[in-house]
Amino acid sequence: MRKRDKEPIYSQFEIDVILFYGTMIMLLPIVLVITYVFEIDEVVNIDRFMFWVLVANFFLTAVGTLVLALRKDHLRRKVKPAYIPEFVYLLFVAGFGLLGIVVLYDYLDGNRQYIANVLSILLALLVYVLIFLGRRFFKYDYMKKQ
Amino acid sequence: MKKKSISDEKLNRIIKFMVIALLGLAILLMAIQFTDLWTWIVQAIRAVIVPVALAYLISLLMFPLIRYLEQKGIGPRGFSLALVFILSLGLVFAFFYFITPIIIQEITNFFNNDFQTIIDYLTVDLRDDFIFGVEIYDRIYAYLNETNLIQNTLDEFIPSMIANLGNSLIPLVTAFAILPIMLIYYLLDYEMIGERIRSIIPKKHEKSVADLGSRLNQTVGAYLRGQLLLMLAIGTVATIVYKLIGLKYFFVFGVLVGVTNIIPYFGTILAAVPPIIYTFIASSGPGPLIVLVVNVILQFIEGNIFQPIIMAHQLSIHPLVIISSILFFGSLFGALGVIFASPIAASIRVFYNFYKERKQELNDDRLNVKKEVSHEKT
Repeated sequence: MRKRDKEPIYSQFEIDVILFYGTMIMLLPIVLVITYVFEIDEVVNIDRFMFWVLVANFFLTAVGTLVLALRKDHLRRKVKPAYIPEFVYLLFVAGFGLLGIVVLYDYLDGNRQYIANVLSILLALLVYVLIFLGRRFFKYDYMKKQ
Repeated sequence: MKKKSISDEKLNRIIKFMVIALLGLAILLMAIQFTDLWTWIVQAIRAVIVPVALAYLISLLMFPLIRYLEQKGIGPRGFSLALVFILSLGLVFAFFYFITPIIIQEITNFFNNDFQTIIDYLTVDLRDDFIFGVEIYDRIYAYLNETNLIQNTLDEFIPSMIANLGNSLIPLVTAFAILPIMLIYYLLDYEMIGERIRSIIPKKHEKSVADLGSRLNQTVGAYLRGQLLLMLAIGTVATIVYKLIGLKYFFVFGVLVGVTNIIPYFGTILAAVPPIIYTFIASSGPGPLIVLVVNVILQFIEGNIFQPIIMAHQLSIHPLVIISSILFFGSLFGALGVIFASPIAASIRVFYNFYKERKQELNDDRLNVKKEVSHEKT
């Protein structure tokens, strides 16, 4: 039987790409978490607020993509054996993003009865994605006994 | 057969231990004889140790940022320190400016709207729901009224609490007042202070002590940074989930979850009790079971996902050891002892591991020397 190939090594560039696009995808939900906690939705029109956050999100994504493209060669030369602090960052972004999605569901007048169901399904999906990303790219295997 | 005599080395060791034990006992005897003098000395030491320890702990949070700025070319030290200091002060100010009014508002609302409901519940509804029956409730109520027990206890408890609070608050306020100044000087000459401390240590032990110091810094620093992150994350998550389930005063209860998270194991229970009691009494909102389930899930996620990744097994100490250290250091240093029981336990473990490693190294060296000698003889 053919032996399994060696694990590929990923540079800081790949990690930064994951972190940046992860943050950009979760930016609106994360902002909504803050508006929800401090009840900013009672002061401003939340639909308009979300629209402007989305515009800013789009703009930031464009700028970030450009910066990543410009720094690609420099970042490709940086390699670490494991990316634990970066993974912790991703964990926080994902955690707050997940909560933000639930808040978004609430803002969009979703039935509150099903919030627990929505949260559970999304949490299961997110845990799966994080375990996969952690093992493959960040070299952090959560399932492996430390 | 002639009995094997004790070796000189072993005898030396026994005498050394006996001398140490005797000295320890002598110090204890002295402490018992001159209690007032010792109390005075301990108070003086505590007055110095509290601000120094706080400055050291905060420097563990701030110094990595200063070093990061300097690595990026933002310097000299005074400038990077000023930047980090202004940023930290800004964060503290923002916290008090934005969060405190919300907390005060919720507490005021509680006393205006719900406090009377609790009193009514205790005096009227609890009578019907009392687990041992109405008769026993009436007897307890009558006894409390006759003896005026609650009023008397409150009359004794409140003045003593205020006096104790005053005693412990004054040194703490003083410590916080001089903390920024100490912190500035400490961070400004961070490396120089380390060098000075190192120069006191005999040359023979300098390397070992420096190694031990860096290990302690790493462990305590990692604990503090991780704990702050966890407190922030758990507090925010709890606030949002409490609001989602429709719990009133979600902000205060959420902040409580974040703040008490600093106390391992007990913090969880402490934070869960007030909202559960509240939901028992409140006429609207979620039931106590939902709040309990939310707390259990939050703690499960925190303990099994966030903590192992963030703390990176820096503090993988057995729960029994942590609980024992909380009880021990709590009785020694009060609230501060409870909060810092885990890092102190982790530091003791670092000391122990270091001692074990050094002993192993010494044994290995001795074995190598013996081997070399026997090799030369042959």
